[in-house]
Amino acid sequence: MAGDWQPDFEQLVDEHQSMVFSLALRMTGDRGLAEEIAQDTFLALDRNLGKIESPLHASFWLRRVAMSRSADALRRKRVRGMHMWVGLEENHGAQAEERDSPLAARMERLLATLPEAQRAALVLRYQEDLTPEEIAATLNAPLATVKSHLQRGLKLLRAKAVIHLKEYMRGV
Amino acid sequence: MEFEPIDELERELRSGLQRQPAPPSLKRKIMERRRQQRALQHRRMVWFERLAASVVLAGVAGGAAFWQHVVEQRKGEEAKQQVFTALRVTNHALQVMNAQLEERNKNSR
Repeated sequence: MAGDWQPDFEQLVDEHQSMVFSLALRMTGDRGLAEEIAQDTFLALDRNLGKIESPLHASFWLRRVAMSRSADALRRKRVRGMHMWVGLEENHGAQAEERDSPLAARMERLLATLPEAQRAALVLRYQEDLTPEEIAATLNAPLATVKSHLQRGLKLLRAKAVIHLKEYMRGV
Repeated sequence: MEFEPIDELERELRSGLQRQPAPPSLKRKIMERRRQQRALQHRRMVWFERLAASVVLAGVAGGAAFWQHVVEQRKGEEAKQQVFTALRVTNHALQVMNAQLEERNKNSR
């Protein structure tokens, strides 16, 4: 029964560490930073464990905090004057190629070139398989804005994918 | 068959954006930081309890001293009133005696 559910911190870490880490990694493009964000997110969960009512609430809460902390980390980097987009593209590209299939690596690379808001919406839609309504609740954004980010993000990705394919064909 | 770029792209996104496995050390680091945070919280709690106990003790001591002062002031006030009453009684007795002496003097003349 949902009412009898007692959160077990260690179990929640086991279940959700991959989700939290992946969200932070795809948003920041930096494995070290993503690991730090994941640690901070779980420590925040530990402090708020009493407020978590169900397993679903736990995943919603973790997604929301991970996305918000990733956005904060990106903002801090921008304030520090780092060239985030270049760094992000290079990091994503290199790491994705090392570990993943060519398709995943290509997706990671293309996704990394999108603006932050569109990337956030697409990551939640296609990594987490959330509906636009759930994405809006997670990002605390209006539904229309989320739908617009999804559409624009896909459009931009498609345009970039076509360019990428043409360059590849020219290379062959 | 007509190729639909959006659908194809979405399918690629779905299969390309699988969750990445977390680093093997992540859980250990989280549990270690949690333990440190709890120890720090415990230390803070102990200090807070000590501080609260000191404030309560200081309050009790201050209150007792103030109460003592109030009691002494009240006793002093009572003693003063008693002295005034005694002086008034004495004064009245002296006035009566003086009146009697004056009466006796008048009679003896």
